[in-house]
Amino acid sequence: MVDVNESLTKQVAALSRLELSETEMVTFSSQLSQIIKYVEKLQEVDVAGVEPMSHPFELPTPLRPDVVLASPKDAEGKPKVLQSAPEVLYDGYKVPPIL
Amino acid sequence: MANLSSFRTIRDIHSAFESKKLSPVELTQEYLAAAKKSQTGAYLTFCDDLALKQARAAEDLILKHGGVPRDEFPLCGIPLGIKDNLTMDGVKTTCASKMLETYVAPYTATCVSRLEKAGAVTLGKLNLDEFAMGGSNENSAFGPVRHPTHPDRVPGGSSGGSAAAVKADLCFASLGSDTGGSIRLPASYCGVVGIKPTYGRVSRFGLVAFASSLDQVGPFARSVEDAALLMDVMSGYDPLDSTSIHQEKLNTVAATRLPTDWSKVRIGVPQEYFVGGLAPAVDRSIQSSLKWFEKQGAKLVPISLPHTQYAVAVYYIVAVSEASSNLARFDGIRFGQRPAASDQAKDLNDFYMKSRSLFGSEVKRRIILGTFALSSGYSEAYFKRACQVRRKIVDDFTHAFEKVDLIVGPVSPTTAFKLGEKNSDPLKMYLNDIFTIPANLAGLPALSVPCGTDEEGLPIGLHLMAAPFQENRLISAAHAFQNGFES
Repeated sequence: MVDVNESLTKQVAALSRLELSETEMVTFSSQLSQIIKYVEKLQEVDVAGVEPMSHPFELPTPLRPDVVLASPKDAEGKPKVLQSAPEVLYDGYKVPPIL
Repeated sequence: MANLSSFRTIRDIHSAFESKKLSPVELTQEYLAAAKKSQTGAYLTFCDDLALKQARAAEDLILKHGGVPRDEFPLCGIPLGIKDNLTMDGVKTTCASKMLETYVAPYTATCVSRLEKAGAVTLGKLNLDEFAMGGSNENSAFGPVRHPTHPDRVPGGSSGGSAAAVKADLCFASLGSDTGGSIRLPASYCGVVGIKPTYGRVSRFGLVAFASSLDQVGPFARSVEDAALLMDVMSGYDPLDSTSIHQEKLNTVAATRLPTDWSKVRIGVPQEYFVGGLAPAVDRSIQSSLKWFEKQGAKLVPISLPHTQYAVAVYYIVAVSEASSNLARFDGIRFGQRPAASDQAKDLNDFYMKSRSLFGSEVKRRIILGTFALSSGYSEAYFKRACQVRRKIVDDFTHAFEKVDLIVGPVSPTTAFKLGEKNSDPLKMYLNDIFTIPANLAGLPALSVPCGTDEEGLPIGLHLMAAPFQENRLISAAHAFQNGFES
């Protein structure tokens, strides 16, 4: 069984791009450890030869023609998808310098 | 002033419109006033302008047609509340998260636009557990929803606002979403009807994704018939959702008008759902409901769903894994808020970490758990195994539905619990979903219909499940039950 300690929690939080406070680290580690312990019961099921099921129904992927559609615009003629962006420059998302 | 609680069905409202007792605009104003005064915390956003515009359009329709044009506009002038994880063009969609506190969607969810096209009035957006993660509606970043009749209790979650608002007459009917029971649990706790359709029956386009192989949108209403009407209107293929099923639009309302030949109905009673742990009042109500079906002439068939005990474990691997992937899109660049600290980030990873600090605890916990279950070295033992056991759970249902038409049992082991009672213990909260989760894993249609109350007057819900795409059977049985059963 996996030992969910703070170092593992820290490692997975980093993979998740989540910053945890010291208190969160302690609480989450103990809660996650409890949850992982609970889901260990899945190990007792005989799953030999069972195809994993990731979706309730087998569906083909529907395809549609690859057509470029204009992005919906607001009253000022700006793309509506940008109306809730944290920062916008011209008709695009603005990001802070990261290098 | 109209007495909002006197309207039991959409038919009552339409009669009031036609006899000129009340106009759609007056009705909308009354619901908005009641909703704004309410202490339940059910609403997050009000859409006064939009709602009044829709209500005026309904009035014009009634004038023009000399009555309610029911065939073309079955929801003409009916005021609805929408769970705040469904988008509406130009309206905030917060998912009850700080992350999306200011997010205004540029498009409307297919399910909402179909209701609008049928004449509905959208009053506003309803509170939920953040990103629909929770069973008590205590995980909202904007405060919990309180139980509509017992304010020290939870309304259930995650669609707590949707259930409480219908019960408290803050909207006539509402929409919710159900990933592991998020419609049926609050419907049961609040004493209203809540339906989770077959997976793929209602488009997920415009539903902010939590767990894509499990999520399904569905209605809340006082009566099975009205909830069924909303489901019918929303159903049908949508090219904008790649998991939308190519099936005709539902007409379950028609099924409620046909008499049921009970001698042909076989009701499965899973032994695993009655193994103890049920609150005595819940057990009593479910047993008397089963007796009612038997009295109508239905055959009760004991069945076994042997992998039930693994459903919660499977769900809390599958759902969180899908969530960890779906919520990766919240990166502080494209949607909603970016905290000031992000601009001081030293590199890209740090930028993401600072931006994603806006998630609440339960969301963080689930993303971490999901990332763990999918991570290299653990994915075989956790994610893959959970998907294998999922198939075994689904096989249990396939076998059961060879012998029975419906499966009946409790929605929840207890009635609504107290605020704060389970909040510090996630596992305890998760285990509360034991009866509702299996339907999501298998994509089945299922619903909760009121079947009694406990000693304190807290509602109890009866859970009905059917085989995939058997909504007609499900709705007609539930409709007959609601109209015939006296608890």
